[in-house]
Amino acid sequence: MVTQLRQQWLHGLLELCLLSLLAERRDYGRGLVERLSAAGFDEVPGGTLYPSLLRLQKQGFVHVEHQASATGPQRKYYELTPAGRVAAIERAEAWGSFRAAVDTVTGVSS
Amino acid sequence: MSAEWRERLAAHLIDCGVEADEAARLTSDAVAEAAEMGRNPEEFYGPPISYAKTLAAAARTSGVPLDRQRGGVVLRLTGVSKRYRRRPVLRDVSLTLHGGEIAAVVGANGAGKSTLLNICAGITRASGGTVERTARVGYAPQQHGVAPLLTASEHFRLFGAVYGMGARKAVSVGDHLAKQLGWRPRPGVVASQLSGGTQQKLNVVLSELNRPDLILLDEPYQGFDQHSYVDFWDQVLTWRDAGAGVLVVTHLLHELDRVDHVLELPRVDES
Repeated sequence: MVTQLRQQWLHGLLELCLLSLLAERRDYGRGLVERLSAAGFDEVPGGTLYPSLLRLQKQGFVHVEHQASATGPQRKYYELTPAGRVAAIERAEAWGSFRAAVDTVTGVSS
Repeated sequence: MSAEWRERLAAHLIDCGVEADEAARLTSDAVAEAAEMGRNPEEFYGPPISYAKTLAAAARTSGVPLDRQRGGVVLRLTGVSKRYRRRPVLRDVSLTLHGGEIAAVVGANGAGKSTLLNICAGITRASGGTVERTARVGYAPQQHGVAPLLTASEHFRLFGAVYGMGARKAVSVGDHLAKQLGWRPRPGVVASQLSGGTQQKLNVVLSELNRPDLILLDEPYQGFDQHSYVDFWDQVLTWRDAGAGVLVVTHLLHELDRVDHVLELPRVDES
């Protein structure tokens, strides 16, 4: 039950999280997965992560660059576009006020 | 194992309407990312058929929405009523729909939603009131919209002929519209062999073939699977943004914040 809820929430918030991570610095897929789990998320399945990145790309928020890596084959790096930076700030603000409302109602104080 | 998964993903993506070169690119990216994680693709992404649907839906995401244009009036109902013999079905229904707007018709079963749609399409005569509509109308009825023994492209040619389009043009427009709904018609497959959801997509494509100014849709989501259902509303918004007026009969009340008019039909009691 709780696992399912967490998955639903992740679906709603993954784009925001990816925008925020990429606002901090550009990254490749595996790097993003690792940063998300370091932050305390359950492992994000590839079937959720990559479609989300593709949507960001199609919306013009993310720019993709292929780059050779020292150890293996080419890596695909994701980087925010200027429109992506604006979206990251707008969405983080929107989430902040939404979260504050939820916190007020549930009595959780941070 | 991985090669088979790869082939099946690419094939399913193409079936979902993704262009062949983009499908190839998405597939090799998916395999490369899984390899980077040291995982096999089936375990990392799930079965190709379901991942293809998710990925194809993501690939159809469009950028900034177009500015909405409100055009002229495409449909005006004034005091429309309908009775069958002595039994009233609709009473005093009025609506003004402009190009670039969506109207949702809601109401309980038996409230006359389909009757109203047929009146808008000119298939059923109103008993009272006036109906004014634009000349180019597209209509996707709930049932009986497709001919069971014709293929998709035969439908496109037939309906294209009605609208005065050449056969080649009709098929290319039809294929293009089908792709937007995540469906690639296969040659030689007749309508009766299609699933209910795909038949309904064919219906929607036919209603849109002549680029109508007014599109009338009856419960089109009923046969759509979940991802396609989302695509359906994207499609409705695209038609609206392209300047068409869309009248859609729906049960899905949570979509109503996206529409411009909600026409709620009360059940007309016998009196």
